[in-house]
Formats: sequence, structure tokens, C-alpha cells
Amino acid sequence: MTGLPRSASLLIRLHPPSIREPYGREMEEVTRFQLDRVPKGPAGWWAHGRILAGLAGSAVAAWTTVIAAGLSTGADRWTAGLGLDLRFLSRSLRRSPGYAVTVVVVLAAAVAVTASVFSFVQGTLLAEPPYPNSDRVVVAWGSNPTNGQLRDVVSGPNFVDLRDRTTTLEALAALHGDDRVLIEDGRQRAIGVNEVSSEFFSAVRIQPFLGRLFDGRERSPQNGTNILVSHGFWQTELAGDPGVVGSTLALNGIPHTVIGVLPPDFQFLAPAPVWAPLTEEALTSRERYNIHFHLIGLLRPDATPEAATRELTAITEDIAVEYPGFEGWTVLVERLHAASVMSVRPIVWTSAAAVILVLLVALVNLATLFRIRTLQRDEEITVRAALGSGRRRIVRILGMEAVTLSLVGAAIGLLVAPSLLSRIVDLIPLWITIPESAAQVQALRARLDPRVAGTTVVLAALGSLVLTAPALLSAARRRAAPGRSSRIHGSRGTNWLVAVELALATVLVLGAGLLVRSADRMLATDVGVDDQGLLTLWVGNVWEWPIPDQVLYFQQLVDRVEAMPGVESAGIIDYPPFLGEDDYARVYFLDSTGDPVRDLREEWRRVDGGVMSTLGFRMLQGRPIGDGDLVGTPSVAVVNESFARKHYPAGDALGSRVSTHNGAYRDLEIVGIIADVRSHGPQTPAQPILYVPQQGDPRGTVGLMVRVRGGDPMALAPAVQDEIWTLDPTQPAAYPAAVSDLVGQWVAVPRAVRTLVSGLALFSILLAALGVFGVVGFAVQSRTTEMGLRLALGASPGRLRSDILMGTAPLVGLGVLAGLILGLGAARFARSLLYGVGPSDPVAAAGAIAIMATAALLATWLPARRASRIDPSEAMRTE
Amino acid sequence: MAIQAHLPLKPVTYLTLLILAQEPTYGVVLLDKLEARSGGTIQLNAGSLYRTIAALVDAGLLTPSEDSAPSGGVGAPRKTYSVTDLGREVLRAEVERQSALLDLARELDLQETR
Repeated sequence: MTGLPRSASLLIRLHPPSIREPYGREMEEVTRFQLDRVPKGPAGWWAHGRILAGLAGSAVAAWTTVIAAGLSTGADRWTAGLGLDLRFLSRSLRRSPGYAVTVVVVLAAAVAVTASVFSFVQGTLLAEPPYPNSDRVVVAWGSNPTNGQLRDVVSGPNFVDLRDRTTTLEALAALHGDDRVLIEDGRQRAIGVNEVSSEFFSAVRIQPFLGRLFDGRERSPQNGTNILVSHGFWQTELAGDPGVVGSTLALNGIPHTVIGVLPPDFQFLAPAPVWAPLTEEALTSRERYNIHFHLIGLLRPDATPEAATRELTAITEDIAVEYPGFEGWTVLVERLHAASVMSVRPIVWTSAAAVILVLLVALVNLATLFRIRTLQRDEEITVRAALGSGRRRIVRILGMEAVTLSLVGAAIGLLVAPSLLSRIVDLIPLWITIPESAAQVQALRARLDPRVAGTTVVLAALGSLVLTAPALLSAARRRAAPGRSSRIHGSRGTNWLVAVELALATVLVLGAGLLVRSADRMLATDVGVDDQGLLTLWVGNVWEWPIPDQVLYFQQLVDRVEAMPGVESAGIIDYPPFLGEDDYARVYFLDSTGDPVRDLREEWRRVDGGVMSTLGFRMLQGRPIGDGDLVGTPSVAVVNESFARKHYPAGDALGSRVSTHNGAYRDLEIVGIIADVRSHGPQTPAQPILYVPQQGDPRGTVGLMVRVRGGDPMALAPAVQDEIWTLDPTQPAAYPAAVSDLVGQWVAVPRAVRTLVSGLALFSILLAALGVFGVVGFAVQSRTTEMGLRLALGASPGRLRSDILMGTAPLVGLGVLAGLILGLGAARFARSLLYGVGPSDPVAAAGAIAIMATAALLATWLPARRASRIDPSEAMRTE
Repeated sequence: MAIQAHLPLKPVTYLTLLILAQEPTYGVVLLDKLEARSGGTIQLNAGSLYRTIAALVDAGLLTPSEDSAPSGGVGAPRKTYSVTDLGREVLRAEVERQSALLDLARELDLQETR
């Protein structure tokens, strides 16, 4: 008989001990016998392999039997005492309802906050954008890093040059949000229209729901009246008519042909109900210096946004050679989704970080509570151990309590989470910040992300398991020495937990303090407009009218509105502040002889004589544009402070002369300087702006500004609209808004973050205070006899109280100090969220110390007071 | 355990008990006989053979006994396995069960219809 191959011997050893030990030697003999009978050659190899495979299968089968038997025995053993333990659990929780309720509430709140905030993160930053090739769809911005304009729109002619010369992009399209007028019941209604160049759907490759999308055919003027409608508009306004393709809609009084319906899930930038084509003529006939368009492109599969940035910048540099004034302008290409979520990214991540901190504080809090609970049940555990309870049984009783409370807490948390999520969606105005996924965010409101909810519960369960494990293990270990009390030793571990909790809460409180101070500074910033009692509407659709008729219409309109009761004054500006829209002009700076010495692209506004006082612009020097400033020679202009500072550093702006690219505005004398208007919200510095009288060449659609006498300006809006329609029922009076609300929108995001983080910080303060309260309370309880003895020996209650307070001081000091160091470090990463305060703001730091110290003091004071009221004779009897 | 609780026996178990009831023997011989008596349909490896034996020993149907020396006097002593009284009763009960089934089959005259 030959020796046994190592593989066969190994496979036999792999059998479970119940087979291997009694029969292993015989198995080897049988296997050797079988292998000896195997013939030599290829046929033998097969038989050999079959024997070895059989042994392997047998090992697996044997282990399966062993494990199944073990499980069934284990389950039997586990369920045996379960009923008893459950009864015991419910009795023990009824005896200490405060503990049970605290654990459940802490965990429910932590789970609710975490699940809702992370569902929000999932739905905003991490969700897949609602269009195909989302990793290749890009936005291209006109960018001038030297003057701080990183993301700007582009003019029609520049777009055409970029589109025709690019090789890194498969398609490049222009997009512009506008309004058209739909006449219903004889009155005009403004509806949003996204004007897109014919390449748009080559970049964003969605499929139409009905009909077709725009293609090359829409370049030509005869197809300029083709339109697409959104699925929502088709459903609500066109009654979901299946024969809608080919029908017409009168926009601005001109029949437009519906050629298709967009898919229901498509929401893009502004979710406009109507999409209209930008014909080639419309793009090229515009002023090269008049910038309007967002550029959306599709990268070639092998190209990167960086390569496209380099290429389009090189093209822009070529354009600058041909057309002076674009020097310093580059193009910035970035993924559309990244650009869309850019403004909310720091906010969302800050909220997420704050929530993680809260979750940690909550888990450490639970660990503290479980530990104290275990220590309080010290005697009970000792008695159980003495009566023969095994280690497993003790761990099971304590663990079951922790797990039951955690599960109840998590379940309640998940029930509460959706309404909390809805609150968060309400709190953060996403239509401003993530227009691209506005619909997704609205959908978010309705449901919690199940993956996030599941992960939260698993994390909470794992966290509480990991954090309660030390308490459980120390309880189990005590079985070895049932007589020894571990209270003193155990409470030292609890002190560390509380210090950690205090530190984490301090980080949050400090962060909240910085955000509160930052938002306060922002709200206190002067935006340069008196926004109270001010109403704005979009009026006019008079692009095609002769200029004198336009001027007359707007003048009559302002006169009529000013004559209304409750109206103090009214005026017109082509682009009202705080709506996020700007307009640019080519400005020529003239010398004393009237010759241009240099020229630059700058913002400009066309205003009537009444709007500067209506808006409450502050004159710094000179006078405002007045009604008498009709355009002629010499005409006038007013500039803002930034314009004067930038172009006339010697302070000689007044009396200087400028011209613009627009023939109606030549040789203007600067007659006044106004204070800067922060038209993009208080956190964005003002840009230089040139104001000119609108009478020269009014814009066809303008903003009407109305200052009302007292009360809510929106209350007067319907009357103002009626007045406008009385003058001409075919003209729009659209989007009435209170200017204070518009200003509010710019600070809504920082306000929302302040509210959210402050709420989380408050919650963490409560948790930390609860931790301190629990630990000090337990220390007092376990030292009742000592306290009683000291009181009996003549110690004053005040002395006892101060001893307890002083005893807690190092713990609180250590926790708060560690938190402060951590928090100041972390604040540096959130610098972009701060306005007007540094990350190491001493006021916020001092505030955090004061708040945490006060909370800790209060939490210590209550048990200390109880200790000082101990009846000495009662205390002696308790032992 | 009641005799009925062991029934019906799996073919390998049934044949193992039959072979060992005839003559107690050790593993290698049992393996050989199982293969021969089943006409080659039962081919076990050492693992499955001893898992069967272990299950029968645990159930009290077989008992191992230490043999003093292997045949030829070379190698370690071997265990022979013999059927216990309980094993014989179980075997008898299985034979009765099978013969009752066989009678039923005969009543149905299945052989004729084939």
C-alpha cells in the first residue's frame, strides 16, 4: 500500500472534529485503498480527482450538518429563557421609565435627523441628473478671473464663433430664459420660455414624448415659430391632447406651431413650459457686447472639461484680437451637474458634517446612559451571577434591553424623518440653487431615501452595539468576582465618554455660533436699496414699437401708477436689482476733446427719471438722472461708487465724459455718483455700473418699480396690474414681487444653514447636558452614604454642592477645550460659508465656551442640589 | 428513540446494516461489499462512508469493537463494526415495511402490465 497524497490527507483533516477524531485514521486507510485501485494513466486521473472531490464534498456536507445542529440547539437554548427575560425586561423598564424614554427619544431624534439630512444630500448632490450622458454634458461660461467674474453668460456672435470652431465638444448650444405673452380671456399672461439654439438637443439627448425635438431645421427663420411644450404644460394647459403636434399657440400675438412634447421627467435649468428656437439670425444679429446666453455643450467621449476650457479660451483670445474689449476673457467649461450643485455643495456638506457630529454625540450619549444603567444594576447583576446566571445570560439581559430600546427609538425616528425632510426642503430654497433638479428636490419631499434610511438604522444599531459592548463586557466579567463593586472604576470610564460628548457638542456650538454671526453680518449689510414697501413687476412687450411710442407708453404707465392711491412713486429700470440679471455695454472713456482714450465692457442700466428716488438710491455726489434728461447732446449719465473708484481713482468722475456702443448713448456727461447697490445679495460685492436715461433706446420689456405708502406692497399688486391693463389690456404685467422678498432670497441659503445648524447645535447641547446630568447624578447616588456621613459630621450643604461642582469642572474644562481646538480647526474648511467673520472669531469661541459651561453647570447643579438635601439618617440606612 | 423514527432507511444505510448484520467487518471491506452488493450503484468515498457509520453509531444501531490486529499482522489495529440489537430490530422493521410495499405492488399485478 502506498502513502496517502497530501491533498487527500488535508481534505480528511478538513472534516469536523466529530468525524475527524474518531474515524480519521480509518478514513485515511479507506482512501489509500481506493487510490491504490485507481488505474494508471488518464483514466486514473479522472477517478483520482473524483475521490478527492468526493472527500471535499463530504467535508462541506459534514460541516453543514454540524452547523445546522448547532443552530437548532442554540436557538432552542436561546428561546428557552426568552419569555422570562422579556417579562423581566418590561418590568425593569417600567421601574425606570425616565431611562427608557430618554434612550428612545435620543435615538429617535438622532435617526430622524440623520436619515432626513442624508436623504437630502442624496437627493441633491448625489442624485443622477435627469438627462443622459450626464458626465459629458457641460456648461461653458465667459470668465474673467482678473475682475472676479468667473461665471458669466456669452453673447450670440461669440457663441456662434465658439460653436463653429470647437473640436472638443460634439455640440454646443445657447440657452436663454425669457418670457412670452399668451393671451387668455383678452388679457395677457406671461409664460416662461427657454430659447435654445438648434444644437441644444444634440447636447442634451433626450427623447421627445410626442412629435420631434429641435434640429438643424430650426436654424432658419421660417422655422423660428416652431415650439416645444413641457409635459406638464401639455397636461394642464392643453388638456393632454394627443393631436397637439401641429396645433398652434399665439405667443406675443404670433402663431407658433407645436412640433413636440418634452418627456415628463425632463427638468432643465428653469423648468419652462415652452421651448422656442433661437434662429441663426437671432444669434448673429445681436450685439457682440450684449451677453445673454448660457452655453450648454456635450464633450466628445475622449475630451475633458479642462481640454475644452483650453480650446475655447484660445478661440476667445482670437476673437479678442478681432473685437477689442474681450481682452482678459477666457472660457470656463465645467460639468453641468457640478456647476448646478456648486452653490449648495458647501452648505449641504456642512449640514451633513453637523449631522454626523450630532449622531456621534447621540451615540456617545447612549453609551454613557447604558454604562450608567449597567453600573446602577451592579447589585442585581452580582446577585444573578451568584445565583448561577451564566455570562451569556447576563449579557443577553442587558443587551436585550439596549437593543429593544434602540429599535423602538430607530422606528420612531424613521416615522418622524419624512416630515423633518419636508421641513428641510422648505427651509433651503433649492429652486435658486439647484434649478437643474428642482423637480427631483420636490419629489424628495415625498419620500425618504430607503437606502439612506436603511443605512442610518444599521449605523445606529451598530453604533449602539459597539458603544454598549464595553458596558456589557464589563458586566459579564464581573461574574468572575461577584463580590467586588466596580462602581468607582466604572464611573471613571463614563467620565471620559462625557468629556468626548462635551467636546463634540462644543464643535457644533462653535460652528453654529460662527454661522449665526456670519448671517447677522450679512443681513446687516446695506444693499444700497430701501427694499421695504417696494414692489416690482415686469411690464411692456413693445420691442417692435417705434422708440417714441415705447417712451410714451412707459411714461404714461408710470404716470398712471403714480396717480394711484397708496402709491408714493414709481419708475422704470431695464434690469431691476436682485433678480439676478445684468446687462453689459461697451463703454468708451473720452478725453477733453471728446476722443475715446480707452474702452471696456461694463454693466449698464437704462433708467427713467423717477426710478432712482423710488429705489432709494443714495446720492454720494452730484444729482440723479431726472425726467428732463432726454437724450440729445449733451446727455448725462450717473455712475455708481465702484465705477467711479475703478475708472476715476483721482476722484474726477463728475464732469467726465463717456460713450457707449449704442448709438443713442454718445458723449454722456457724468452728473452724479450713487452708492453701490449689491444687486446679487449682500454677500456679493457690487460691480461698476453706468446708468443712462432710458428714453434714448428703451428696452422692450422693463421692470416697473413702485414704492407704496406703508403696508405690504404685494397687497397693491392686483390694483397696479389692473391699472396697467386699463392703459393697454394686451400688455403684460407679470411676476409682481416684493423687493424685500427678492433680497431675502439671496440670504435665504445662509439663513437656512444658520437655522439648521443652530437646531442641531441646540440638540447636541441638550444631549451633552444630559450626559453630564446622568454621570454626576449617578456619582451622587452612589456616594449617598458618604454625603450623609459628611452632613452628619457637620459639613454644610453649600460645601457639598461646591465640591460636586468643582469635581465636575476638570471634566467640563477638558471636553470644552478639546472641542474648541477641534472646532477652530474644522471652521477653516468651512471658510467659504462665512461672511464678515473669520474662522477663529473670538466672539463665537467665547460664546461656545459660555454656552457649554452654562449647560454643564446646570446639568451638575440639579444632582448637586439633591445631594445637599440628603437626610443623613436616611442616607446611613441605605447602605 | 422509537424504531419507527429510523424508518424508512436510506439505501446506503439499509445495505450497510444488511452487510454488517451478516458479518461484522471493518471499513475497507464494508466499502468493497457495498459496491459489490449494490451492483456498483453505491460508490462511497471515505468521508461519506464514515459519516454514514458515525450517524449509525450515534443512533445506537452499530457498535465499534477494537480488533487486535489487522489481517496479515501489519499496520494499526482496526475497528470492526457490528449491528446492535436495536440495529437488528430496525433492520427487521425496514424489511417488513418493504415486503408490505412489495405485496401491494404484487396485488396491483404491476409485473403483468409491464
